[in-house]
Amino acid sequence: MSALNTMTCPARRLALTFAALLIPHAVLAQGSLGALGFGYPVNGVSTRTSGTAGAFGDIDPLSPVNPASLGGTRQTVLSAQAEPEHRTLTVGNVREKTSSQRIPLLAMIFPARGGVAVGLSARGFLDRSYTTTTSGTAVLDGNTLTTREQLTMRGAIGDIRAAVGWQIGNWARVGLGGHIFTGENTAERIRTFADTLQFGSTLDSSRATYIGTAVSLGGEVRLFKGLSAAASYRSGNRLEARIRDTTRASGSVPSRLGAVLRYDGIPGSSFAVGFEQVGWSDMQPMASSRTNASDAFNYYGGAEVAGPRFRGVPILLRAGYARNELPFSLSASRVTETRIAGGLGLPIAREAATIDLSVQRANRLLTGSSTKESAWLLGIGLQIRP
Amino acid sequence: MSEGVRWSRSRLRAPLLRLSLIMVAVVGAACTENLDGGAACPSLCPEPSEQFRDTTFDAVVQDTSLGGFPPLGIGSNLLLANRPDTLVTRVIMRYDVLTTSYFQNGTGSLDSITTVDSVFLKVPLDSTGRRGSEPVTVEAFDVDTTASDTVPAVLRSLFRPDRLIGSLSLTPSATGDTIRIPINKTVMQAKIAAKGRLRVGLRLSGRGQLRVRAFTFGTSASTLQYDAATDTTYRPIVITAQTSLPGATEDVNLAYTTYTLTDLGSSPPGPGTLVVGGYPAYRTYLRFAVPLRITDSSTIVRAELLLTQQRSRFANVNDTVSVFPLVPSATAEVSDLRRALDLAADGLLLRVDTTRFVPRDSGQRAINVLSLARSWRTQPASVPRALALRIGLEGAQPAELRFFSRTAAPALRPKLRITYLPKSEFVLP
Repeated sequence: MSALNTMTCPARRLALTFAALLIPHAVLAQGSLGALGFGYPVNGVSTRTSGTAGAFGDIDPLSPVNPASLGGTRQTVLSAQAEPEHRTLTVGNVREKTSSQRIPLLAMIFPARGGVAVGLSARGFLDRSYTTTTSGTAVLDGNTLTTREQLTMRGAIGDIRAAVGWQIGNWARVGLGGHIFTGENTAERIRTFADTLQFGSTLDSSRATYIGTAVSLGGEVRLFKGLSAAASYRSGNRLEARIRDTTRASGSVPSRLGAVLRYDGIPGSSFAVGFEQVGWSDMQPMASSRTNASDAFNYYGGAEVAGPRFRGVPILLRAGYARNELPFSLSASRVTETRIAGGLGLPIAREAATIDLSVQRANRLLTGSSTKESAWLLGIGLQIRP
Repeated sequence: MSEGVRWSRSRLRAPLLRLSLIMVAVVGAACTENLDGGAACPSLCPEPSEQFRDTTFDAVVQDTSLGGFPPLGIGSNLLLANRPDTLVTRVIMRYDVLTTSYFQNGTGSLDSITTVDSVFLKVPLDSTGRRGSEPVTVEAFDVDTTASDTVPAVLRSLFRPDRLIGSLSLTPSATGDTIRIPINKTVMQAKIAAKGRLRVGLRLSGRGQLRVRAFTFGTSASTLQYDAATDTTYRPIVITAQTSLPGATEDVNLAYTTYTLTDLGSSPPGPGTLVVGGYPAYRTYLRFAVPLRITDSSTIVRAELLLTQQRSRFANVNDTVSVFPLVPSATAEVSDLRRALDLAADGLLLRVDTTRFVPRDSGQRAINVLSLARSWRTQPASVPRALALRIGLEGAQPAELRFFSRTAAPALRPKLRITYLPKSEFVLP
């Protein structure tokens, strides 16, 4: 029994409202490779981590992935960021460009005594916002009539996390986090006929809300000087899809296992390689037979090095590469994604505030087909350490 | 980057500023969302559309034709016709209050009228549509009587030569929008002297018809005009029609101010038949029973009332006539259908359009009732799902439409053809 199941209705509404305010706000085009099924796995991480293609996710305290990374944080940190995306889908000779705007992560970290720090965050988990306009036909009385259909899907599932991390001496960190996954999808379908005199248009809408919980734990151990290993695990509880207060489908919040090796033996530099396995198939019971949810294995590597100094503080240069699998597809074919990333960390008030910039080039491919998609993801994040 | 390399702040500021501006511009540009997609559909659009469903069924649970429309005093036109094989009517106009005095020129004194000149009955006509080209004569009779003059038989008996007080010969197609029928001055003088009233009955001789404006006031009202003296400098006295029946309400008085008598009209509907129009005019009322899964749980995209038309043989069978929808909006507590029709809303308010028919045609006809069917979802359950039909120029149009009713053979009965899209919860992938 998840903790959320015991929440009262007002508490759930509050959680939904909170999620609606903080979860990513995105507009993707359906028919895109990234937005199939329950949506694109935003997995909101900090702009710093984005600049390394996700490689720093398990060791970055601002990325709500591994609660152990919070341990040892000595300053309060407030972070907000935006991450617009320009996408080009290519199907045969047809190219379609779409763009979206996201706020993938809001995070706060509050240090406590003894190497303990508490983190609160809201991030995008699955992003399902798109609009499609297609033409089709309907056969009535043996006559084939031209129709136009516009499907507008809006919404997302967010991940609200409260976590605590503890640094145990200089050699280890551990952490524990509690997650609420909540959000909603609203679908609206308009169908019109070419003959507007005889036929009226249809406007149909449908709305689902999601609620689920998970627990995450993690740790980081310094193996020897300059080399450390971090790992985290998220255990998903029940995830429900509700339509008008009736649970229409249920599954589980996808479990996740991630691990990363970090090397920071060179002063001012960090290097990380890692992988993660996300059990997206836990959501398969919530989907219809049209949608396949498959576990994803993602690999990444990235680096952050100190660059030239600005106002006495070094500018951080970042780069990374990732190979991901997207969770949802319409058939046995998988959608794979490669990302090349780069980024900067710019101090704007010495160590009191930082602007992070990231650029990611993502290439997605539906295996066994010529359908491909490329995207530019531009990230800008602001961290304030009051 | 080597720690030993010292970059000056001034050297870094410009490129950093430039980079930041570029990033902000790019991010800002990305805020312009482009939502149009779908090139990869249907292969990458997993949410399949629900299929439209089409059904034609005997939805009519009650249908009937009610005659006597429009009620006396409500119509805007009166039909004066003499077509002995199909339609014969007479028009009654009542001028119960006559002006009996006038201000004499020069003296300013109020004198009684003792002589009149230039007495006319000025009758506005509806000059639209096709009119006859054969000459006709409008005859005016004095139909004032102390007998019960609301009884048609009594009135008909007064249309006799000794009561003829005026006439006018004309060709309808060559006539403007007003005719002036000269009235016998002697008769008029006598009525004024006796402080009496003038009740005029109009009849047409010769084959043809005229559509008379039925307004009782305003510029389209029929008026009685006369000069109070032979001196042409006097402005004519204009009398509008009005009457007062003992103990009658205003509605009844208005009904009998100008009205028609029907000597020969259309035949009643008969079994298995619905009539729209005719003379006196009929309206047809149809009540439907449509499953809630269609009205409430689906989106209706097409709704047509299918009626099987019978060939009409009454009057203008070749003219195209309009059928106007009426939407009864009273609750089922109003069980009197005539009352329900009185309370019905004009179909145009619900965007149910008019439909045109030719009376001589036969076969299945469709009336688009999409807007009406869509409105049923929002109507309270106590309001019958119904539709009424009336003919254009009701009460002044010599044409009728006949349809088979729900008691006819199954293939001929009224039906509803509805195309709908069931609601679906398609939000889950």
